[in-house]
Amino acid sequence: MNTPNYPKAAWLALALALTFVVGWEFYWRHENYDLSYNDDESLWASKRKLIYQSSPARPVLIGSSRIKFDLDLDTWKRITGEKPIQLSIVGTSPRPILTDLGNDPNFKGMLLVDVTEGLFFTPTGSFPEKEAVKRVKAYPNWSLSQQISFQLNRVLESNLLFLDDQRLALNPLLTKLPIPSRPGAWGGPKFPDAFSVNEFDRQTKMTDAFVADTSLQNKVKGVWQDIGAHSPKKAVSGPMLVDILNATKQAVDQIRARGGEVIFIRTPSDGPMYEIEKQAFPRALYWDRLLAHTQTPGIYFSDYPALTRFTCPEWSHLTPKDAIRFTQDLIPVVEQKMGRSLQKRTSATASKTNSSPL
Amino acid sequence: MVFNSYTFIIFLAVILVLHNLPFSWTAKKVNLLLASYLFYALWNPPFILLLWLSTVVDFYMARLISIEQRPTRRKLLLTVSLVLNLGMLSYFKYGGFLLENFTALLSAVGIVFQAAKPDIILPVGISFYTFVTLSYTLDVYRRKCAPEPSFLNFALFVTYFPHLVAGPIVRPEDLIPQFKTPRRATVEQLSWGLFLLSLGLFMKVTIADGLLAETADLIFGLPFPVQTLDAWTGVLAFSGQIFCDFAGYSTCAIGVSLCLGFVLPDNFRYPYAAIGFSDFWRRWHITLSTWLRDYLYIPLGGNQHGSVRTYVNLMITMLLGGLWHGASWTFVVWGALHGLFLCVERFWRDWSARRRAKTAELVVNEPLIAQASIIRPLTFSNSFTKFGLALLTLFLVNVTWVFFRAPTFNGAMLLLLSMFGVIPNGAPMLTNLAILTVGIITVLLIACHWLMRDSSLVALSKRLPWWVLSIAWVSMLILVILTQKSSGSFIYFQF
Repeated sequence: MNTPNYPKAAWLALALALTFVVGWEFYWRHENYDLSYNDDESLWASKRKLIYQSSPARPVLIGSSRIKFDLDLDTWKRITGEKPIQLSIVGTSPRPILTDLGNDPNFKGMLLVDVTEGLFFTPTGSFPEKEAVKRVKAYPNWSLSQQISFQLNRVLESNLLFLDDQRLALNPLLTKLPIPSRPGAWGGPKFPDAFSVNEFDRQTKMTDAFVADTSLQNKVKGVWQDIGAHSPKKAVSGPMLVDILNATKQAVDQIRARGGEVIFIRTPSDGPMYEIEKQAFPRALYWDRLLAHTQTPGIYFSDYPALTRFTCPEWSHLTPKDAIRFTQDLIPVVEQKMGRSLQKRTSATASKTNSSPL
Repeated sequence: MVFNSYTFIIFLAVILVLHNLPFSWTAKKVNLLLASYLFYALWNPPFILLLWLSTVVDFYMARLISIEQRPTRRKLLLTVSLVLNLGMLSYFKYGGFLLENFTALLSAVGIVFQAAKPDIILPVGISFYTFVTLSYTLDVYRRKCAPEPSFLNFALFVTYFPHLVAGPIVRPEDLIPQFKTPRRATVEQLSWGLFLLSLGLFMKVTIADGLLAETADLIFGLPFPVQTLDAWTGVLAFSGQIFCDFAGYSTCAIGVSLCLGFVLPDNFRYPYAAIGFSDFWRRWHITLSTWLRDYLYIPLGGNQHGSVRTYVNLMITMLLGGLWHGASWTFVVWGALHGLFLCVERFWRDWSARRRAKTAELVVNEPLIAQASIIRPLTFSNSFTKFGLALLTLFLVNVTWVFFRAPTFNGAMLLLLSMFGVIPNGAPMLTNLAILTVGIITVLLIACHWLMRDSSLVALSKRLPWWVLSIAWVSMLILVILTQKSSGSFIYFQF
């Protein structure tokens, strides 16, 4: 029997672990990956904490991926002087967050609700709400310990590329194994790694590689088709739709009763995706009805020539460059809906010169 | 604070430095106590008041009990402690459950009663520290141990951060004597403690959270039936997840404590290699099962009052054990099933012992008839038989996990029907990757438990060359780093 030499084993393990970390980091840098922050519960909670600072110039954004890609937070800040608070969650219905904000007696700010019909008009408790419900429930229990860990993690994530749980953690790496799919079982959408990155303010952006590569864009188009094939074939209607509209109205009314403001927004989609969306969720039956039922202003991109001039390379989201222009053009529309200017006085003129006429 | 967080790494580093500076022993214990309060307060600071209340009341009640000679007064003092501890536990853990059932009962008899939904937050670890303080007061009451004269030692015994929120559930004799003399980990203890911490994190972060949780959550969260393969994969995923989550926590706790020079009791001993349910409870959450045995089963009479009472006592113990895990009838059913299996096992053991005795009598009296007619009683000398029985035990344990994990009875029944093919056309939900992952981990887990069932990690480490240990260690660390799930809560925190 050996005499265990634990200290020696510990030192060797430490040296090997450090060597691995350094090598792993260099490998992914060499592969030209872009740094991306984990868009996890803690990052979301850190933004949720800011909602009480919301103002017309600093709206809270809730929705799905489109507003995360399409509304450029830095551009909004450049024009209005304030950065919006991004609470949208990719692939998720914003309704649980809307309900949460409605129930929060201290939220009296400005709310922009991004409506992607296929996600917004889903029954309460259905799959597209799952992640939003999870985060809303987790937020009140976001402990001091988690907040400290979040700050430490921020420092590490800002410097280490491999700390990317969407693309480079064990599970996403395992999904790259050549294991055939099981007939009838769907493992969820598989986006190419180069599709997008997430910034610390929760802005999502397409990577340069993605914008430049049509084959990658086609892959994402394929993912949308895949998702479509696994989505309910019939949109909600009847009493279920009425329930959704009533729940939305209740939350909107709660916010407005406290002096807050709400605007719905339909961001651009393109090509076959837009056609299918129009067919599945006819505007008169869903969008128009939502605005009428809740008595809330809305911005539908196709109503404004300035917001219609963009192309979504993968049918659903804008490129970073277009997101800047879209945001510049969106702000005057929001101002018009609200009946007041959002632009900071000092740079108002400069920003106006960059935006295109409505 | 959870062990699998960056905050804890910093916290532990600071504690280790402080504990190894040339302060007096009292100063070091004060450091540990303050650190333990900080560890707890970083969840929800107000709940520290409950911990203080429990500590102060039990410290003074135990002292009063020890000096009081009159039995009635002693009982009264004990009752004060029990009412406080169990009252707090009942209010925070079972308040909503009791109200819900009370409302249901009233409505069953036709009385319409709508209670306001109680907004009670469960203080982390209350089930664990309540049992720790109770064991102390009960031991003093039974004169098994003298009351601890030092409040500092007692407060540290209750609050010591490695075991505070999810065990192991320590007894006074486990820890208080270790606080009496200065302790500092040797280099070997520190290294082995760090190894155990790495192993615990690997079990929790990589296996439980990284590789199994998603599959278990998906299958247990579905409102419709799934294929038999999917149902079993989901249950096996949870089976592995709960073991790796809870045993991972205990391993971290034992490792962290060892880094400071204190030894905590073992809490798991390869339970998935258990042969029978009594063996399972000698291997699973050992500090809870021994607590229930010593403070509930034996005081109820244990096996000293005939067979029927023994079975009743077993059932009561396991039902309450189930309820300890959570305020839900599904946990009660889980406990009832374990109680039932323990009763069946005991019945079978008694019956075969009687049968053996009868056989021996026959052999002595009529050897020829005996040789011709007797079927040899089943013995466990054969490894295959043992392994088969271990698999049977594991199979039944997995059936009970369905009730433990399922959010509702309907969900549990749906899954059970899917598992046994009663609902034939369930949906295929899991990918080949998920099935393969769960399958591989299950096989490895069973193999590991079976090979280690009569051994220990320390014994194994002594047999291995140091560099092999190092390779295993670094492999675990790399997998933890790769998994990147840094702050998932442990399942047992909710209990």
